[in-house]
Amino acid sequence: MSTLLTYISVNDGKIKRSSLEVLSRCNELASLHGLKSAALVVDSAAAAIADQLKQYGPDTIYTIENPIFKNHLNTPLLRALSRVMEEINPRLVAFASTESTKDILGALAANSEAASLADVSEFELTEAGVKAKRPVMASKIISAVEAKGSPVIITVRSGSYDVTEKSSDAPIESIPFSFNDDELKITLKEIISASGDKIDLSEAETVIAAGRGVKDEEGRKLIDELASVLNAGIGASRALTEAGVYDPSLQIGQTGKVVSPQLYIGIGISGAIQHVAGMANSKVIVAINKDPDAPIFEIADYGIVGDLYKILPPFIDELKKVKNN
Amino acid sequence: MDEKFDCIIVGAGVAGLAAAMTLARNNMKFLLIEKGEFPGSKNVSGGVLWGNDLAKLVPDYWEEDAGWERFINHRRLTFMDDQSTFSVDFKSSHFNDPPYTGVVVLRSKFDRWLAEKVQEAIDASDYAMDSFIAPNVLVEEVLQKDGKTVGIKAGGDEFYSDSVILAEGVNNLLTRQVGLQDTYVPADHMLTGVKEVIRFDQKVLEDRFQLNGLSGMSNEFVGYATNGVEGGGFLYTNRDTISIGLVLGLKDLREKEQTPYDILNEFKKHPVIADTIRGGEVVEYSAHIVSSGDKRVMPEKLYKPGLVVCGEAANLLLNAGKAIQGMDYAMRSGILAAEAITKAKEKVDFGEEAMKSYQTALEDSYIMKDINNFQDAVHLLHDPVMTQKMPNLICDFGRNFFSIKNEPTPKSRNMLRGAIKRHASYWELIKLGAKSAKAL
Amino acid sequence: MKFYVCIKQVPDVNAPLQIKDGQLIQDADRNILNAYDASAVEEALVMKEAHGGEIEVVLIGPEKAKETIRKALAMGADSGSHIITNGDESYDSFSYAKILATFFKDKEYSYILCGKQSQDTDSGLTGSMLAGLLGIPYATNAVGLEVTNGSLTVKRQGDTGQEIIDVPSPGLVTCSNDMNDPRIPNLKGIMQSKRKPVDTISVADLVVDVSSESVKTHVLSYEEKPTRQPGKKYEGEPEEVARQVARLLDTAENVI
Ligand SMILES: Cc1cc2nc3c(=O)[nH]c(=O)nc-3n(C[C@H](O)[C@H](O)[C@H](O)COP(=O)(O)OP(=O)(O)OC[C@H]3O[C@@H](n4cnc5c(N)ncnc54)[C@H](O)[C@@H]3O)c2cc1C
Ligand SMILES: Cc1cc2nc3c(=O)[nH]c(=O)nc-3n(C[C@H](O)[C@H](O)[C@H](O)COP(=O)(O)OP(=O)(O)OC[C@H]3O[C@@H](n4cnc5c(N)ncnc54)[C@H](O)[C@@H]3O)c2cc1C
Ligand SMILES: Nc1ncnc2c1ncn2[C@@H]1O[C@H](COP(=O)(O)O)[C@@H](O)[C@H]1O
Repeated sequence: MSTLLTYISVNDGKIKRSSLEVLSRCNELASLHGLKSAALVVDSAAAAIADQLKQYGPDTIYTIENPIFKNHLNTPLLRALSRVMEEINPRLVAFASTESTKDILGALAANSEAASLADVSEFELTEAGVKAKRPVMASKIISAVEAKGSPVIITVRSGSYDVTEKSSDAPIESIPFSFNDDELKITLKEIISASGDKIDLSEAETVIAAGRGVKDEEGRKLIDELASVLNAGIGASRALTEAGVYDPSLQIGQTGKVVSPQLYIGIGISGAIQHVAGMANSKVIVAINKDPDAPIFEIADYGIVGDLYKILPPFIDELKKVKNN
Repeated sequence: MDEKFDCIIVGAGVAGLAAAMTLARNNMKFLLIEKGEFPGSKNVSGGVLWGNDLAKLVPDYWEEDAGWERFINHRRLTFMDDQSTFSVDFKSSHFNDPPYTGVVVLRSKFDRWLAEKVQEAIDASDYAMDSFIAPNVLVEEVLQKDGKTVGIKAGGDEFYSDSVILAEGVNNLLTRQVGLQDTYVPADHMLTGVKEVIRFDQKVLEDRFQLNGLSGMSNEFVGYATNGVEGGGFLYTNRDTISIGLVLGLKDLREKEQTPYDILNEFKKHPVIADTIRGGEVVEYSAHIVSSGDKRVMPEKLYKPGLVVCGEAANLLLNAGKAIQGMDYAMRSGILAAEAITKAKEKVDFGEEAMKSYQTALEDSYIMKDINNFQDAVHLLHDPVMTQKMPNLICDFGRNFFSIKNEPTPKSRNMLRGAIKRHASYWELIKLGAKSAKAL
Repeated sequence: MKFYVCIKQVPDVNAPLQIKDGQLIQDADRNILNAYDASAVEEALVMKEAHGGEIEVVLIGPEKAKETIRKALAMGADSGSHIITNGDESYDSFSYAKILATFFKDKEYSYILCGKQSQDTDSGLTGSMLAGLLGIPYATNAVGLEVTNGSLTVKRQGDTGQEIIDVPSPGLVTCSNDMNDPRIPNLKGIMQSKRKPVDTISVADLVVDVSSESVKTHVLSYEEKPTRQPGKKYEGEPEEVARQVARLLDTAENVI
């Protein structure tokens, strides 16, 4: 029986929700087509994570454990994945779309001569391979695409599917893997982490996004305060990540991250298509902008026209009250 | 760069492109500089390119399925009050064969296409490697030495040439810099144009406007369209979109505290217009200054040693009510400018007299003849009797004339009398009539 | 150092678009240099200016894509190779990677730079595919590059932070547009670009199978994205509108 393999993204010992979304979809497709759904954990502490996966219903859990996977490096990850693919010959390999998985998608596809689709927002199996939808033209348009052959390798945008829990008693199979440091052609010298224990943007239920309108320390304070009231993740437009005001990993949009929270609040952001590409799937969009013609108002459910420095203080006060009730 | 050009053209609008095409054909070494990202990117206007000078630049252009939208064989002039329209409508198969009397264009597409044609002409010339079209470059200054034009400055660098053609459009900073126009232009001599492009299913568009193949319609509006502000409205059919917009007197707008955008929105809500544009999707909005066509804003002198000004930079434009003519003037004046430069090169004389021959040619052309002849018509369009009372009167008459009730119908003569009484005085009409007879 | 920069001509996503019978139509046929590739060119120029070297751009595309090569040359690249296609092939990233791999097979280079992704399709595959096919080390999503002793140190944007990686030569790096603002060619650059050498190669002359049967991914059709309707705009007294919206987020939307 052929297998649908979901790669489980792990960050700091925590499973990324977006990869559980993918797993849930693969479970669904597997039962629809009478196939097997397997999860794969490649990590320096894979065994511990594998246990947590049982409640998400895969038929099998594969693990590859090696200290080399403590940090992201493409060469060993590619080797590990090639090894697994040889071993279990999956029909589909699905990843959550992250900078780490996008890093290897192309090379993995080229090495295994597999068809690949990046950043899909929907996918299903067909006779020939996989049919999927993916946003193009800065997400203004959706393209329906097909990838032929077996395996097909895809990455899936976060927020595309719901996570469904289904406990299973999936066997955990560890795949032996050794890696010789000589094979490592690239060397990791340093990791500069985004400061603090911030909420992962792509998983946040509420996202506050700051744009060029947030001009100074005072503005950033207001953003922080709002975020803490709402327990929200903070993101930014390119105008502010480029200026070094916010960490580049917080950029939302075509170049940066895709978010799909329940509530997105854009503050001092004009709404350029490249930014909108990363947040248009938010459930409720609120925009605060002093320019009544800012394009962001074309997609905002609640458009507040005004100076953010005047709007935010009473807004925060009122939210505090609402929260306390 | 120490190489010297025969000519540097500033601005790749219709005028600059026409000049460039002419220079390329005449085997001249030149530089065409455009500040927009590509030719046409800044040129939001659009509408009908009247006449057939285009065929001079691109012979048999109609055989190419690019650049232009539709040819005009259907024209309509509409008077409008708040609820009705009364139109003079003319359609003729006389206009069906190329060269056409007018083609509708969308500038971002048209200018780009024409620039490609110019590039082809450059490639076929002796200066294939030495003539350039340079987009995304702003000309900062015209360089002059000992009373002569010697080149331009862009990006802090100097580039030298025997001559410069200023084709920079209505916002003619360089023309002012070289002293050919006053720095201050009164607002009542300027108009602002706003335009939307609205998309339809092509079949729907063709059915709604009774278009056949690439035939098209142009419609001008007088009256309620501009909500009491002097000016007029227009609607042109493109391939699968229409261009709809207004030109409005800047000063009058300011005095009446109205915004072009709001007036355009009201215009679109007019019951007749709403029926016309129903189901369409706005895909573009743009605004731009336009010259009024008032001769008083035209620079008296359009040349200096080694320099000529053409197109709307010279305020060459005529809006006499039945059409806006700006692009055709730009095209012809660009051609004339390039011809003068070519002659100057032959005689190795770019002096005052040589450049003057451009203005003489312009005076002898239909452009200055028409601008001179129709000045009164230009002023008529500022007359509130013409832009408000007259349309109201006409529509009032129309409403009565076309109503059939189950009661005795008055003679139309009496209807007209009634309408006049309600909207204007006889005296005003006689004045207007006399003016119009003189103007047109 | 010899840099090759792979550049692509892409439709301008800001130009008006429409879909007719499942086909994507760009009214104005406006094409530009992929923004991410422009950043790659810029970065190569900066490195060349500091350390010397040579920059060649490579583009696979139809005849008229030559203007995009000229653009890169006008920015300052030294030469170009144009691998000419008909323009109507349905190539996917893998096809482009295979063509590029064939092109690079017998070339000598220090580094190949690619864009992180195509601005129109956002695929982000070609670069690492090419590295895979050539068997060279690579790093994707670079936001900073530095030359140290003839080899590249890459700052790549990861999921939570930035990874500083040494990529030995010959290697490949894909560039984000977050690393710089590409220069706009000046007049001198534009004039010089015409005299810079551009090699033209036909795809047919490269021994590579990119026949339609070999292409494994296809676009079946395009569709409009369901548009969001604009909601309500709140203008007026800041205190008042702020309170109003805050309350609605709680009561009407239940997202607080
Ligand atoms: C290939 C490509 C990829 C890109 N990728 C991304 C991406 O991933 N993410 C991204 O964000 N951008 C991206 N961009 C850039 C994008 O095009 C915009 O330039 C950027 O999003 C603009 O950021 P902004 O809205 O903060 O700034 P601006 O566009 O400058 O807008 C600032 C807004 O703040 C408002 N404002 C100012 N002061 C106040 C105040 N006191 N109160 C209220 N409002 C105020 C202004 O009215 C204005 O609307 C990309 C561009 C390209 C070409
Ligand atoms: C709403 C509207 C509707 C119109 N409808 C019609 C119509 O139906 N028919 C008609 O014939 N006319 C119409 N016109 C008028 C017509 O558009 C203009 O008369 C015509 O564009 C003038 O052409 P031009 O080449 O002289 O100037 P432009 O087309 O304005 O071109 C000037 C070019 O020079 C460039 N430039 C300026 N300064 C510099 C610099 N310093 N360095 C480099 N480049 C520079 C500009 O970017 C521009 O591309 C309309 C105008 C408007 C606004
Ligand atoms: N036709 C092409 N010619 C040259 N380089 C290309 C081409 N297509 C893709 N690339 C390179 O691959 C990158 C984008 O890959 P992708 O997103 O997979 O299309 C671009 O930024 C280029 O560097």
